[in-house]
Amino acid sequence: MSSRSGSTRDYESSGQSRDHSASPPVPESSDTETEGLIFYHMDLYGSKDRFDIFPEELSGRGDRSLGDTRRESALSSKKVQRPQEVGYDLEKEVAELAKMYGLDEDREKDLEFLGGHLEKLGSRQPPAHTEKAGSQGSIYNTSSSSSVKDPSQSTKQQGLPDEASQGENQSKATADDEAESNVWSRGGLSSGGMSDEWNSQALSEEEEEEEEEAADVFCSTCKIPIRAFDKLFGEHKDHEVAQFPSAVKSEKEEIHKNMCKLEEQIAQMENVASHLEEIFITVEENFGRQEQNFEVHYNDAVQVLAQKYEEQLEALGEEKRQKLEALYEQLVSCGKHLDTCKELTDETQELFLENDKAEFMKAAVTMVDRLEEFLKKEVDLELSTLPDFEERVIDVSEVEQLMNSINAIPAPCAPVINPQAPNAATGTSLRVCWGLFSDDTVECYQLCYKPVSNERHSDEQAEHTLKVKETYCTITDLLPNTQYEFWVSALNASGISPPSERAVYVTAPSPPTIKNKKIRSCENAALVCWESRDINPVDSYTVELSKLTDEENDDIITESIVGIPNCEVLIHLQPTQKYHVCVRAQNLGGSSERSEPVLIHTTGTCFYLNEDTAHPLLAILDDGFTISCDELENPECDLPVYDNSFTRCIAILGSLIPFPGKHYWEVEVEEDTEYRTGVAFENTPRHGHLGANNSSWCMRHIITPSRHKYEFLHSGMTPDIRITIPPRRIGILLDYENCRLSFFNADLAQHLYTFNSHFQHYVHPCFALETPGILRIHTGITTPPWTALP
Amino acid sequence: MALKQISSNKCFEGFQKVFEHDSAELKCKMKFGIYLPPKAETGKCPVLYWLSGLTCTEQNFITKAGFQQAAAEHGLIVVAPDTSPRGCNIEGEDESWDFGTGAGFYVDATEDPWKTNYRMYSYVKDELPKLINANFPTDPERMSIFGHSMGGHGALILALKNPGKYKSVSAFAPICNPIQCQWGKKALGGYLGPDASKWEAYDATQLVKSYSGSRLDILIDQGKDDQFLSAGQLLPDNFIAACTERKVPVVFRLQQGYDHSYFFIASFINDHIKHHAKYLNA
Repeated sequence: MSSRSGSTRDYESSGQSRDHSASPPVPESSDTETEGLIFYHMDLYGSKDRFDIFPEELSGRGDRSLGDTRRESALSSKKVQRPQEVGYDLEKEVAELAKMYGLDEDREKDLEFLGGHLEKLGSRQPPAHTEKAGSQGSIYNTSSSSSVKDPSQSTKQQGLPDEASQGENQSKATADDEAESNVWSRGGLSSGGMSDEWNSQALSEEEEEEEEEAADVFCSTCKIPIRAFDKLFGEHKDHEVAQFPSAVKSEKEEIHKNMCKLEEQIAQMENVASHLEEIFITVEENFGRQEQNFEVHYNDAVQVLAQKYEEQLEALGEEKRQKLEALYEQLVSCGKHLDTCKELTDETQELFLENDKAEFMKAAVTMVDRLEEFLKKEVDLELSTLPDFEERVIDVSEVEQLMNSINAIPAPCAPVINPQAPNAATGTSLRVCWGLFSDDTVECYQLCYKPVSNERHSDEQAEHTLKVKETYCTITDLLPNTQYEFWVSALNASGISPPSERAVYVTAPSPPTIKNKKIRSCENAALVCWESRDINPVDSYTVELSKLTDEENDDIITESIVGIPNCEVLIHLQPTQKYHVCVRAQNLGGSSERSEPVLIHTTGTCFYLNEDTAHPLLAILDDGFTISCDELENPECDLPVYDNSFTRCIAILGSLIPFPGKHYWEVEVEEDTEYRTGVAFENTPRHGHLGANNSSWCMRHIITPSRHKYEFLHSGMTPDIRITIPPRRIGILLDYENCRLSFFNADLAQHLYTFNSHFQHYVHPCFALETPGILRIHTGITTPPWTALP
Repeated sequence: MALKQISSNKCFEGFQKVFEHDSAELKCKMKFGIYLPPKAETGKCPVLYWLSGLTCTEQNFITKAGFQQAAAEHGLIVVAPDTSPRGCNIEGEDESWDFGTGAGFYVDATEDPWKTNYRMYSYVKDELPKLINANFPTDPERMSIFGHSMGGHGALILALKNPGKYKSVSAFAPICNPIQCQWGKKALGGYLGPDASKWEAYDATQLVKSYSGSRLDILIDQGKDDQFLSAGQLLPDNFIAACTERKVPVVFRLQQGYDHSYFFIASFINDHIKHHAKYLNA
């Protein structure tokens, strides 16, 4: 770092001198800069000019120390040349200029990059070329006057002798050749592709430089550029001013902000436009639908009216006919009456004309009778029918309703019920969802459901109906792992829709029960089995593991095993940890609650004794791991014998986890107990003795008159081994990977014997008693380190 | 204490070397074989001492037993000294194969003319470990011992007489009860004098009867067809009986069909290396 900064400083000093010589009002006094200035503005000064002075290969070729010393010497020589005068204003101006140059860093980097190569070119080539390099460099240096070249060249002249004196030592030739080729290729590039950019850059900088004469700060109050001098003494004295760079920066920021706003607005307007388009389409659709609606309804209404008209007309005609008929009848009867009267009158007058008294009297009596009789009859002179027609009520209610319904909404279509979403059910609840096919207006829905049953006459089973406002409903108090049928209708003021299709949902299952006593485990795995509490089968099970730490966060599930088809799973675990394991049952509807968790310690191998294999005389005590035999013969001989139990050897098998690796357990014995213990295949003959066949390996202890005898039996063979201390606690190490089964005196860590056998199948611990006694089995023991080697 | 390297052969990534040195205890030049496992190049290793049987030199074990692979695997330095002083010009030292040269019996002789040179017990117990610890990357706290026949006897008595000095002990067909057998009687009588009570200090069976030191896990392999077993030179039963009595843990394996040779040793050497590695690397 130190060497780097040193060199940077070095470059700066020369770079500054050049900058100053470039600006006419600051003549030779540019050399009056002090070192303090150099240090202060180290960062502000770009390094773009550095390459004008020093050949790139010095710093680029990795010979740092050499380059440094050279620069040091250059610096020192320069120091000597400089008049030691300090001009404050100048210093400041220089600083401003530097800041300006430092504005666009990216561009500066480009310049640096190119400048470096150009400079290499310049330094390497004879003076003619140097000219060229210098002029190229001047493009980005903005001042094309020869005054630029002078200091740089003079500096170079200072540098070159140094280079000549020290560079002798370097093997420069090859390095320079490389540099040269590099330079040429780059040089071509720079003059071609990038010249435009350079020019623009040069232009802008030129402008800035012009301004620099007149103004170097920006008066925020007047919004004009001013000279710093004015700020100090002129009219802007009390104004707020900003340095040019910062002023430009703030202006840019302002513009940028406005640009952003504009962009936002454009985006907004585009948004609105697309929204409007959408609305446009919707309006068309909606109105079209409404037109249709109107057409249908008005047609209906017109039809109804026409029908009414017909009906009314018919009724009116009928009434008219009846009335006329009645009147006619009355008229006829009137006529008849009149005729009869006239007849009677005529006859009476004739009678009056009769001169024969007797005849007259005879006829008169008859006549009087007839008249009397006739006059007795009442003449109905009242009008039977009124001429005006009955007042009819014209019933327009139906029409009215129809007319009303035109403005109101149509009755909704049948909703569409969704199929069951996964994990939307619990054991006792279901979340049912549905939707509308159209944009019908719906006041509420009527949801019906009933359990699905295979029985025919189960239709009478309770059908439940609910009114729901939303398009979903959570139904509770259901039975676990049960299928329910759902259908839904939509209602509004106009009526009820037809029911949806029926959808079958199923509730989540009940949590399973882990068989606590059937857990087998070892340091690296556990075999957990459970039973389902549901009658209906479930799809799968999920086992969740949480590693217990000393901290409180017990319930953080560290692992889940999903999609277990059976009620059993082998879980890989880490040694010497505690785990909570629980199971969930899973069906289409979701997962059950967690089962009661079981605790598994992966300290050592845990197995359980398989009672099915126990010889009838062998008893397992309550702890599940102590086996005993009280008598060798049972006089009654009617003990129950299971298919799987040992019949000859008073033995039992354990159920060991089928997992490779190491398994260790211990058997505690009395000194005078005669026993066999070891491992056997699951199918080892039940009628034979353990160790007598090739499917079992075991250690046998018997007592001979002279000594304790220990046998290590497999296929009936044993090595001849004497053990001076009868083990009380036998350690048994089953190591599948190293193909061995070792027996230890666990109290002494003494190795007793090792079977080297490649076990073709997984084996199980076996235990047998040859004389009455007990064996205590210890599981879950960490494999002792001394078992690693026999 | 200057060591002179006689030979060096790369073996299982380690080196089987033979050195010669001037023994102060035995007052003669002594050779020993030493196997340096690859682990010795980077760290300190435990040392397992092997004591050979009658007539043997340092060469027999290192060339015939085939222990190097197991030693390399378990990172054990295995040191195999010679079985007696050599070239001491003692009258009668080369007269018989079971006494004198090649038959030091791992005792400190008290009788003339043997008492000056025949101090194999002290040599193995003190001088050799000092030499080894001074010149090789050993862990002085961790050493064990084993041997064959007379060397098995030597290993047993060194372990039993120095409780705690050796982490473990094992033997191939050891002379378990020398005071009761021909070899023992001749050698002990010759080196220690006729007083049989003095012999008991070098008799494993006698020593175990009074052993009360730290726990020793003793592994013994014995070929069943060993002619010296049937000749009554080895008498392991006596030792086992004494160990059973004194509750000293022994696993004694009578190996069907094996004899007294290095073929027998080579067959079970891995078990013994593992037996020691278990305690040395614990």
